Amino acid sequence: MDANRLSQGQMVAAIAAIALFIISFLPWFDISGAVTVGGTTIGGSKNFNLWEAENPLDIYLLIVILVALVPATFSLLGDGGDAPMASMATALLAGVGTLLILYQIFDTPGDLDRKIGLFLGLIACAAIAVGGYLSMQEDVGGERY
Amino acid sequence: MSRLSQGQMIAAVGGVVLLVAMFLPWVGVSGPSVPSGLPGGVDTSTSEDIWKGSSLDIYLLITGVVALLPALMALTDSAEEFSFVSAATLLLGAVAVILVIAFLTVDFPDGADRKIGAFIGLGGAIVIAVGGFRAMQEEAAGEI
Repeated sequence: MDANRLSQGQMVAAIAAIALFIISFLPWFDISGAVTVGGTTIGGSKNFNLWEAENPLDIYLLIVILVALVPATFSLLGDGGDAPMASMATALLAGVGTLLILYQIFDTPGDLDRKIGLFLGLIACAAIAVGGYLSMQEDVGGERY
Repeated sequence: MSRLSQGQMIAAVGGVVLLVAMFLPWVGVSGPSVPSGLPGGVDTSTSEDIWKGSSLDIYLLITGVVALLPALMALTDSAEEFSFVSAATLLLGAVAVILVIAFLTVDFPDGADRKIGAFIGLGGAIVIAVGGFRAMQEEAAGEI
């Protein structure tokens, strides 16, 4: 395997996809509450990572991660016939994914609070979209090496 | 409208079906049964459409709009051509099918019932994906 086979866009998308997968296990949402019993207040909170929150976003972002890793995998394996439209698919799906995470930030489901994973996930997904877009430009300009 | 290829037309129909289905009930919640003799009746069930804080609603909205884009452009006599629209339609439609199936199986709320809107929405997403695929084939064959 030779990482030099990857174009700059593929590299950005692949690294961001791996980062997004790791970030998906950080806390994305939090629910907290408190009860007062006999004058004593007892509080508690529970964090949810991407996979624990009941939300189709987990499956969608898994698809984005896999699509972003496909062109890099083909290039690393030295398969000359790389997946057609893979760059466009990466840019499109990650762009929509960025919108979906942004929507979750502004319209959090139920009474959940936002946690660090949600914001890092937004950055990683946007980076995948940028990588996909760069890769599209490189495909058009024939800059792949 | 004559500028639309068959695939674009199929995708547009799927887009309309999907957007309409989003306002139909997707999730039904049955309440505890109330004896028919008591005030309040026996019907304690409620149903909800897809616009309930899940990110699925926004995704399906984007998919429906992208599927309708060529038809909207034709209706407005716009000369602008968007490249990749057919591929985007296929891609978004296929992912929408996966997401709706996942919603109906693994992500479905416990104790709730699947309602007609979810199945019509799934059908709309499948039609969008098929239309996008057909439109791509027509573009490749230069039929437009």
